[in-house]
Amino acid sequence: MLSYVLRKILYFIPVVWGVVTVVFILVTIVPGDPARLLMGQRGDPETLARIRSDLGLDLPISRQYIRFLGDLLRGDLGTSYRNNEKVAASLMEHFGATLRLAFWAMILASVIGVSAGILSAVKQYSLFDYSAMFIAVAGVSAPVFWVGLLLLLIFAYGLQILPGVGYGDGSWRYLILPVVTLGTRPAALIARLTRSCMLDVMNQDYIRTARSKGLTERVVVLKHAFKNALIPVNTIIGTQVAELLSGAVLTETIFAWPGVGRLTVEALVARDFPMIRGSVIFMALIFLVTNLLVDLSYGLVDPRIRYD
Amino acid sequence: MRKTLRPLRYCLVIALFVLGACIAGAEEPRSGGVLRWREISDPPRLDPATASDSVSNRNLYLMFDTLVENDIDGKGLLPRLAESWEGSEEGRVWTFRLRKGARFHATNRGSPTGNGGREVRAADWKYSFERLVKVGSPRAYFIDMVKGYRDFTDGKTSEWSGIRVIDDHTLQFELEYSFAPFVSILAYPCFAVVPREDAEKAGVNFNFGPVGSGPFLLDHWEHDQKVVYKRNPDYWRRDDGGRPLPYLDGVEIIVIPDNTIAYGEFRKGNIDVLPDVPDEFYTDVKERFGNLFQERPLLGVYYIGFNYAKPPFKDNRTLRKALNYAVDRKAMSDFLLEGRYAPAPGVLPPGMPGYDPDLKGYDFDPGLARKMLAEAGAAEGFSVELNIDNNPRHRTVAEGLQGLLAEFGIDLRVNVLDWGVHLDLADRGETQMYRMGWIVDYADPDNFLYVLFHSDNFGPKGNYSYYKNEKVDGLLTEARIETDYDRRMALYREAERIIVDDAPWMFLFYYTTSLVGGEHVRNLRLPAFGHYSTPLEIAWIDR
Repeated sequence: MLSYVLRKILYFIPVVWGVVTVVFILVTIVPGDPARLLMGQRGDPETLARIRSDLGLDLPISRQYIRFLGDLLRGDLGTSYRNNEKVAASLMEHFGATLRLAFWAMILASVIGVSAGILSAVKQYSLFDYSAMFIAVAGVSAPVFWVGLLLLLIFAYGLQILPGVGYGDGSWRYLILPVVTLGTRPAALIARLTRSCMLDVMNQDYIRTARSKGLTERVVVLKHAFKNALIPVNTIIGTQVAELLSGAVLTETIFAWPGVGRLTVEALVARDFPMIRGSVIFMALIFLVTNLLVDLSYGLVDPRIRYD
Repeated sequence: MRKTLRPLRYCLVIALFVLGACIAGAEEPRSGGVLRWREISDPPRLDPATASDSVSNRNLYLMFDTLVENDIDGKGLLPRLAESWEGSEEGRVWTFRLRKGARFHATNRGSPTGNGGREVRAADWKYSFERLVKVGSPRAYFIDMVKGYRDFTDGKTSEWSGIRVIDDHTLQFELEYSFAPFVSILAYPCFAVVPREDAEKAGVNFNFGPVGSGPFLLDHWEHDQKVVYKRNPDYWRRDDGGRPLPYLDGVEIIVIPDNTIAYGEFRKGNIDVLPDVPDEFYTDVKERFGNLFQERPLLGVYYIGFNYAKPPFKDNRTLRKALNYAVDRKAMSDFLLEGRYAPAPGVLPPGMPGYDPDLKGYDFDPGLARKMLAEAGAAEGFSVELNIDNNPRHRTVAEGLQGLLAEFGIDLRVNVLDWGVHLDLADRGETQMYRMGWIVDYADPDNFLYVLFHSDNFGPKGNYSYYKNEKVDGLLTEARIETDYDRRMALYREAERIIVDDAPWMFLFYYTTSLVGGEHVRNLRLPAFGHYSTPLEIAWIDR
């Protein structure tokens, strides 16, 4: 298993390099000069030239690329053009808020999604099944901004029982609405997938055998059926975790949540090259690490899986 | 006797009633409280030397002092840290007498500052101006007429020779040439004073712990959430009754990116001031909040530029004028922009020195537009591209124009671009038509007419239309050095009339600026320079 993990980590290098190169090229060739944006609507050519020189934008692209790779190898993601802050420090500062939001959203989504999926499968074609799947379809279809605004209108501005926007003092009350907003779609996806996987498994022969052995329905469902249905569910949870951790742009914007998603969007608008590159590398790493963890978790769920 | 006294008694009762009402109306300001002000994004820069956007400037006005400041109506200059100033006869030497007793912030983010709260001296001003060049300020060139700028910028000299410290409280600027708007420029927030001790110690990190001498000092900055300021207890300014300013204990700049949420938070009372009321809530705010809503003309103009150097507009003044006559500005403002913008007959907005109330401009005249189109060889219509930046308001205006011009057979193809790309193309003159706006930097017609129309300023310096008229160039150059105010204004008016007649732009609207404050917020005075310069040192909270 150790060699598998090491091999996977070695694979990270060409993937990250590829991502870095593509992002570097894309960001550089898109029209729009970051120095010009820093200068504002009006500026004299001398000042513009000096800002470009300070930022290293006057160098040939190949030299900019080599310099960028050199800095990256030394662990330096650069300094933001926009606010002069170190990119790595800024990302870490914002990642705390995103992690907190994503963690609780995934807990909520997993608990609700898995429970609803199992119960729907066990009580197939019941009122509960129809209701749960209707809500799940609505949850998948409803745009995040709409869910967020609706929750705000009801709970923050209508009933006034929860705070509206912001991180507040870190209190859990500020967390509820963004977590529900962010967790709704993954919960719906997990519920639908869990139900369909459970139904597949419940029709297998070994389930019939388990029942015929006289095992209780609870043991049959949770120990025999759910464990076998878990691999695809595990995969979708892993994918969702990676997506949420890499920044929930809309949720963070609606709730003025100071996370990585908002940071990235503002960097894109301002043509803040170092911050864009840093954010993308950060997101790529999150996806790679999450996928690795998901791969490793298969072995725990299904002992037949080996990492040789 | 009784009869003759009766009217007198009535008069006395009325006088007492009026006096009572006046006393009740003139509320005594209360000290204390924290005012929460909404902003759409985190301020990118809090160092005055490197800031160049309105969100950052909102913050700079709280923390820093300049030598002079703009009158709230934009009609003149007021002393700030300069008590008085005078120019030499030919306008090349300006001497400022500095206020005694103004002190830098003694604390910053809860810790003592390096300067220890000492007095602001003339040497600090020289240091601050030189620092602008050293840190690569994008606005330092505003005062490139100060003697020695080039040599200092190029590193040929170790100091800026045109800035002289006469004594602790006297500062002098020598200009390369006479430049009448010089003092106005010094009200721009980047020309603020900073203490050498703190700026040197912090280096580039001064942006995250700025120290000034303004009414509020930085307490803490939670990125993408809020910037928290506390009252500067040593601030030099007093109100008319001798009470120390500011009244507020603090100000919080709350970052809420989404307009709908920001309005919801304002209505819930979680923010006290909502500046730049969004279009989508404009009517609701006006109806719901009545007198708490403030709106006034902003010293700014909204226009569509024609590329003067490229077909179809090159050497075709008739075509440019025809398009100006083809547009119903009033209807566009009323139907598309809630009537928020006033139709613009020319360049200089009302309230700006040199504004010409008699300037006729282009009234909507479809008949004349058709006739001129025919004269310009475009009777059958033509296709033309308009570049705009990606903003809902600009998209609405562009779609309105599309509809209006289609009536004349003109196929207006709108390219919606990212702001950076839009600027880039406009800089290089790679447009046929482009949308742009211009909001005042300093209250002088030079900031509009010279910047936007002089042929020295092609491209990024402001003249995106690549407009060139030697007569206009001559008038604008002459106006820059003319020291007689009335004569200067006459020169600007003449230049503006020629520009309007040449029609390098489709002159559209004059901007407005707005805000709405909670009913407990008092003395919130909206300046003509925009909501972001609202002086919060005189605001107070009544609760």
